[in-house]
Amino acid sequence: MSERPEEVDDLELQALQRELDGAFESTRPRPGFEDQLWLQVQDSRPPQRRFGDVIYGLFQGIREVPAVPMAAVAAALVVVLGVGIFAYSGLGRGGGGGGAAQGVSSEANAPRNGTLFAGNFGRLPTPVFNNGTKNGQAPAATVDTAAGQYYGPAQLTWTGKFDLAIVTAPVFRYAEPSTNAADQFASGLGAVLRERPSGFLGSYSASDYTLKVRGTVQAPPASPAFFIFSSSSMQTIDAAGAGPRDLADIFLAQHSLSPQWSYTVSVDASGDPTRVYYERQLDAPGYGPVYLVDVNGQRYGLEVDLSANRPVLCQGVLPVSLDVADYKIISAAEAIQAALASAGPAAAATAAPAIKLTKAELVYVLAPAGDHSFYEPAILFTGTFQMNGSTLTRRVLVPAVDPSQRKP
Amino acid sequence: MAAERPPFEDLYREYLGRIYAYVRAQVGASADAEDITAQVFMNAYQAYGRFEARNTTPSAWLFRIARNATLDHFRSRGRRDRLQRTMEHQPLIEEDPAQEAEGRVQYRALLAQVAHLPDRQRNAISLRHSGLSFDEVGRVLGCSEDAAKMLYHRALKALREAVQKEGA
Repeated sequence: MSERPEEVDDLELQALQRELDGAFESTRPRPGFEDQLWLQVQDSRPPQRRFGDVIYGLFQGIREVPAVPMAAVAAALVVVLGVGIFAYSGLGRGGGGGGAAQGVSSEANAPRNGTLFAGNFGRLPTPVFNNGTKNGQAPAATVDTAAGQYYGPAQLTWTGKFDLAIVTAPVFRYAEPSTNAADQFASGLGAVLRERPSGFLGSYSASDYTLKVRGTVQAPPASPAFFIFSSSSMQTIDAAGAGPRDLADIFLAQHSLSPQWSYTVSVDASGDPTRVYYERQLDAPGYGPVYLVDVNGQRYGLEVDLSANRPVLCQGVLPVSLDVADYKIISAAEAIQAALASAGPAAAATAAPAIKLTKAELVYVLAPAGDHSFYEPAILFTGTFQMNGSTLTRRVLVPAVDPSQRKP
Repeated sequence: MAAERPPFEDLYREYLGRIYAYVRAQVGASADAEDITAQVFMNAYQAYGRFEARNTTPSAWLFRIARNATLDHFRSRGRRDRLQRTMEHQPLIEEDPAQEAEGRVQYRALLAQVAHLPDRQRNAISLRHSGLSFDEVGRVLGCSEDAAKMLYHRALKALREAVQKEGA
């Protein structure tokens, strides 16, 4: 083996370690397996033990309702990868043209002066987040070193400034996409139906890629999505002087996938492939552009992965028509209180790190609900702190829709 | 200091995904990985009354059960030889649409390379990247923390060579 500088060696190994982190974090059981197996585990208890558990539960508090499925939430790190787009423009009242024909006028049914009411969609499902705690109990600390995220217990304080001038915000609803909708999307791209594999609405072939389309994933929540896997015939993009973003733009334009919505772009060129993220923004009148985030508070929209100027993967949310209705939201003070309470009582008793939350912003999150799912407003709090010489970020999400408008 | 034992459901929810990924990296097929993962948590549930948090971490305890369940799986079905033969002739990671979509193309290939490594190297990589400390890797594999570190770094270099060879 030829000699190579030690630093090159180290860099290669570090890159491999990052890839391994990604590979293991993205390998998770199929949706539904977690709850199915938990039922089996519970059924395996002998009858006397079940009775004992009931008695124990009387003293320890009811723990029957599964809270945030942590394993599934870990997979949400992967769902960060399985991000997407809405091929829909003009969401909300401030949006541009090209909106869905079925869109409901939010003005017609808007609440007045913060009056409590359940909007057009009735009571909404409460979104599930990965805030590092559940049932008020602090789990073991979890650090995602690659992303610089900390998910463990924490003693949270708020030192930022957060004003929420609006009292209502739009909630978006979509009907679960059918196989017909998936087929239409595929044919619009020029791809032909090949099969309908389990877990997907369809698998399609085009000249230089395979397309797969999937519906909403209930847990961990993931939007209906499409995935384009390049075949060996996918050409590199030749554009002198073009950076990754330019190349991604060209690829999207060539394949009729350019976002029709507001977004910001970020590029991760730390490894191979280089990843170009189009971070989706929705419009909340009176507030401004609002990012769409996953259960970890990670922005998403559309992603193009490039390796040596060749697109290798593109994934995004399947275009769906969105209805819209306004809902009363909580105040900034209530949101801050909820964020601090999310640490749970157990966190204070542990050696949990003290973290100052310094930033807060309105975001949108997915709340799957069977035939119809929702994009609901939430408040994302962020703080950074030092741990073992590294700067880590702690995010806390709280639902923004007033509790009276949500199902418990 | 007395260490408290967390409710089993907490452990289950927190570790299910990581245990599944670990098992999947050992056996390749998602159906087998689900069966073994189910067995791991059934076994863990039955044994949880004997788990003592002051003696070991939940991670090390659960992954040791997972390693044993995986070995039992190979032994009881006589799959070890079959697996070896399979590994010699074809990639281990099967075509799985759900995983293909939610994972990444290159990740599947990488896990297939991990599956080709010798048993202890494969375990060192899998356990480490399932979030275990070197001390915990050592506990599961029955060696010291330093030995686990050396094993892991040897495995990492072996994996890099395999990946480079594959890409050549």
